[in-house]
Amino acid sequence: MTDAPTLGSDLKRLEEIVRRLEEQDLDLEAALALFEEGVARLREAQKKLGETEARVLQVVQESSGELRTAPLDG
Amino acid sequence: MSGMDEAWSVTRLARTIKRRVEDEFPAVWVKGELVGVKRYPSGHWYFGLRDAEAKVDCTMWKFAAARLKGPLEEGTEVFVLGTPNVWEERTSLRFNVTQVLPASGVGAQAQAVEQIKQRLLVDGLLDPARKRPLPPYATRIAVVTSIAGAAVRDIITVAARRWPGVELLVVNSAVQGDGAPQELVDALAIVSRLERIDCCIIGRGGGSKEDLAAFNDEALCRAIASCPVPVISAVGHEVDVTLADLVADVRAATPSQAAEFALPDRMAVQRLLSELGSRLFGMTLATVGEQQLRLERTRDRMTAALTTRLRTVERRLLNVHGRLAPALTRHVTRPREKLLRLEATLAPAMRRQVTRRQADTARLAAQLDALSPVAVLGRGFAVPLGDDQRVLRTTADFTVGRHFNLRVADGTVEARVEESP
Repeated sequence: MTDAPTLGSDLKRLEEIVRRLEEQDLDLEAALALFEEGVARLREAQKKLGETEARVLQVVQESSGELRTAPLDG
Repeated sequence: MSGMDEAWSVTRLARTIKRRVEDEFPAVWVKGELVGVKRYPSGHWYFGLRDAEAKVDCTMWKFAAARLKGPLEEGTEVFVLGTPNVWEERTSLRFNVTQVLPASGVGAQAQAVEQIKQRLLVDGLLDPARKRPLPPYATRIAVVTSIAGAAVRDIITVAARRWPGVELLVVNSAVQGDGAPQELVDALAIVSRLERIDCCIIGRGGGSKEDLAAFNDEALCRAIASCPVPVISAVGHEVDVTLADLVADVRAATPSQAAEFALPDRMAVQRLLSELGSRLFGMTLATVGEQQLRLERTRDRMTAALTTRLRTVERRLLNVHGRLAPALTRHVTRPREKLLRLEATLAPAMRRQVTRRQADTARLAAQLDALSPVAVLGRGFAVPLGDDQRVLRTTADFTVGRHFNLRVADGTVEARVEESP
């Protein structure tokens, strides 16, 4: 199972990038590479934050033992 | 110790005892077994309340007894609420009861809960060290509760407000009644099969102690402890604490609070993101800015140098241009004018020359014509020509029988020598 970056991992990486930019004396190329990644993570996180549709599903176990999900009427 | 001359009267003793006992003695609940229950025709009740080691005489006056739901029964376990009262005449103490509740059920249940708690404690399930932290940015949360209850609505409302992108997976279960504990255990088993769940909320809204009893079930407590993701319990209200609350990784006072614990606040994360963003841009700008400044300075110097060079070349060009015009006049315009002038004078001269030459030529031709043998022939002379076109000039040239041509003015006549001259 590949782990898509979660908001948590995005934030963690962003914090690391900012810290490295702040603490280390980087040459321009490295700094720009970090910056670019930082901007990408920032966008990604903003996107996740912008998701507005809360999904509420009900999980039901079929008689076969299979799990089935369906929107919970609300 | 007082002297004999200061001896108290019995009345004083009795009143002092009464005062000491009754003053500021709070109304207390006392648990005990009813013994010697007697109801008088007046409507008052008299009984004893005892446990393994002590006994207290009690009275319950008619007005308080009127609120009893049923007659007091000998030997039953009860909770009584009352205050101590001393009867001066005999200095005897009675507990004056205002309320009686049957302890049956309540007591037994509490005891059973206590026993389960002890077992959980022994097994280490109540150890604070085994409590798991909640993931900081949960987005997929399992909820075990009754879909008919208020709790699920509260959780959905709060969750959607805090984290609009949240995904809630609700597993329905009875939360009260005899079947509830097993249903809750089964629901947790389903939760453990769900993928990518960040944490699980299990709970229900408020209710009576009996309504919440399912959450004291031992099997449920053990299921909570072995749930693969952190469990937040949210049972009833703030004041209700069940064993499930003690075993859960986090106890929320209410279902709404559980949702708050489970999910980050969108606004707070937004603030964090903004802060990180401005730090990111700020730092990079600082690094880039320095380089950019150098670049700009270089560019400015380059521009300045280039401009200087251009100006120099331009000046030289202007200078050359200024001198070019007169030079052009000198070397091109003037010679051309001169040429035109020459041409103008040359043409008539040429024509004159040509005319003269033509006249000369005509005269010479006439002279030449007079001298031509052809012209001589015109005057009646003839020229004998040998086969080789040589002129036969002497008699020796005319041998008998020789053929020759005689050229006359308008042609040639063939001839032959007949006789020797």
